[in-house]
Amino acid sequence: MLALRLARGAHPLVQLRRLLVAAAAAGTGFLLLCTLAYAMEHPGAGSVLRLAWCVAPIAATVYFAVAVARTDPGTRPRAGLSAVGLGPARLRVLAAISTAVACALGSMVALLVFLHLRGDLSGLPFDGAAAELLAAERPLPLAAALTLLTVVPLAASATSAAALRPRSAKAGGVEEPAAPAPAPSGLPWGVALLAAGLAVETYASGRGGGPGGGLPMPGGADGNPAGILAGWALTALGLALAGPGLTYLCGRVLQAARPGAVRLLAGRVLQEEARRIGRPLGVVCAVASGAYASAVLYAGPRPGVGPLTTLGALLVAGCAVLTLATAAVEARQSRADTTAALLRLGAPATMLRGSAALRAGALTTVFAPLTWLVAELAALPLGR
Amino acid sequence: MVAPPDNDVLWARALHVTHNGSPALTGVSLGVREGEILAVSGPRGSGKTTLLRCLSGQLLPQQGEVWFNSSPVHTMGPLVRERLRRDRFGWIDPEPHLVPELTAWENVALPLMLRGGSHRSAKPAAQEWLERLDIGGCARKRPHALLQAERQRVAVARALVTTPSVIFADEPTAPLHRADRAHVLRTLTTAARSHGITVVLATHDPELAALADRAVTLLDGRRVKTVHLPDTDAPPGPGPAAGAARASEAGTAPGAGPGAGPGPSDAEGRAACSLSV
Repeated sequence: MLALRLARGAHPLVQLRRLLVAAAAAGTGFLLLCTLAYAMEHPGAGSVLRLAWCVAPIAATVYFAVAVARTDPGTRPRAGLSAVGLGPARLRVLAAISTAVACALGSMVALLVFLHLRGDLSGLPFDGAAAELLAAERPLPLAAALTLLTVVPLAASATSAAALRPRSAKAGGVEEPAAPAPAPSGLPWGVALLAAGLAVETYASGRGGGPGGGLPMPGGADGNPAGILAGWALTALGLALAGPGLTYLCGRVLQAARPGAVRLLAGRVLQEEARRIGRPLGVVCAVASGAYASAVLYAGPRPGVGPLTTLGALLVAGCAVLTLATAAVEARQSRADTTAALLRLGAPATMLRGSAALRAGALTTVFAPLTWLVAELAALPLGR
Repeated sequence: MVAPPDNDVLWARALHVTHNGSPALTGVSLGVREGEILAVSGPRGSGKTTLLRCLSGQLLPQQGEVWFNSSPVHTMGPLVRERLRRDRFGWIDPEPHLVPELTAWENVALPLMLRGGSHRSAKPAAQEWLERLDIGGCARKRPHALLQAERQRVAVARALVTTPSVIFADEPTAPLHRADRAHVLRTLTTAARSHGITVVLATHDPELAALADRAVTLLDGRRVKTVHLPDTDAPPGPGPAAGAARASEAGTAPGAGPGAGPGPSDAEGRAACSLSV
């Protein structure tokens, strides 16, 4: 009940974030139900693979839900709640509950839309618009549908509870300056994985996996050897691992060589927030390079992209971008005290905005060419 | 609009401020003379911080006027007030509020750099002030590695480094022990006197208020002449906070300011006293 009460009184922007989580969960739930419908229609080997492809949107949704749970002001340790015994440990439970509520809401919407499009629920436009696609003539196995729909809420709430476990004994309200975060160490690993991924991909395509020789892609564009997919996965993992290290380096370069106030603040903040910003940024880059490569892949004389593939791709891309935005909000929240102190000193608000813009610009100048390069290299073997 | 007296660097008349409906200041007037150290004393919740925020242009009073060097602060736009704070005022919080990502000397040099000073010129100035406050050895440490007293001294150095016209110190020694307290305050007052800086010092501690040239006492958002606390020998913490303050107009105020206006504010002060007894 407390979770609901806290959720009810929240700021509209916080509600919007929760609503976005619900929307992502709805999209993922709908994809899962469509996979179920396909499996009912075509009981064969292909449906397992389709289900496996749903892992990507599920992972993206869970990732986004955890990022939102982190920024949720309701789950932040607060001096008042801490005093009445509602410390970080109990707040973790609250976070898990509110994440589960948002995701369950999304799953409900997915089920309603699915039933509606099948024609089971009537009285609205588009009744049974996709009846034959969604296996309307067969009864829906309720247990299977519910199992699929509980995957996202359970995974999201369990992950957010794990992610929010109290790391230190720091209670809310105690203002002690935190020790500077050590430099992220993932950069060499990230670069190594990136290179390995590109190499695997090139090697696999060089071996010439003929049509029909490998895993089918969603949307019918089959004939891609598993090697290319493994290469893609390695590349994406490498980018996500290299993100924090690259961000840290960006900050380090920004504040080097006799900085003024703007460069000093921008660089140091970037160094401090490298982990928080860098990881989602790396994921966004990985998704972007994947999108570029798949654009090249589907541009060829192959079957077009189905609506469900588009939905899945949109879910993954949207969740990645929204997670980055949420991480930026989280970084801003954690620096609110310092910003207030700077404003009291008379720091112009334009200077603070300029510093933020400088940070964004530096990250863009580093990550945009990198993404483009990785995408070009990844798409190179596909184009042949 | 009445022009303020010429010898006052800061001058406030009949300030009225309410925080979300609850009155914080009701008709406070005062003048701060050039180069003096003025203590604003009073128990917690008596409106000291609100008064300082009004005087420094962070908060606009709902009624009343604030003049700085014959220019009206209460009619300035937010950008002009921001520049005024940056160029002419210094501010010390009860908590140090240092930027955690910057080292001690960078924190001190930040106001100079915000004013457009170069890195090259700001560094020796910051280092010099740190030396003067006996924390030259901490220059390269980050705030997390400093003791609370050292942090507060860094904050004092940050306020002094630009040699502003006025420094507003809002309970600058609140989180410190008594030994550190005296030291921090002594360094602040010495530096202010040697550089001709005006200091407005908010404190609930009568001992600290005694270090100032002049003291102004607030009680429940009104200016009163003196406050006799029930037991002045008691340790300074809980005594004033208990709010058992008894004010009497018979006591001698250590010099009522010329802008203090003996009319309405005193009457309001008396009203407050009779209420609080």
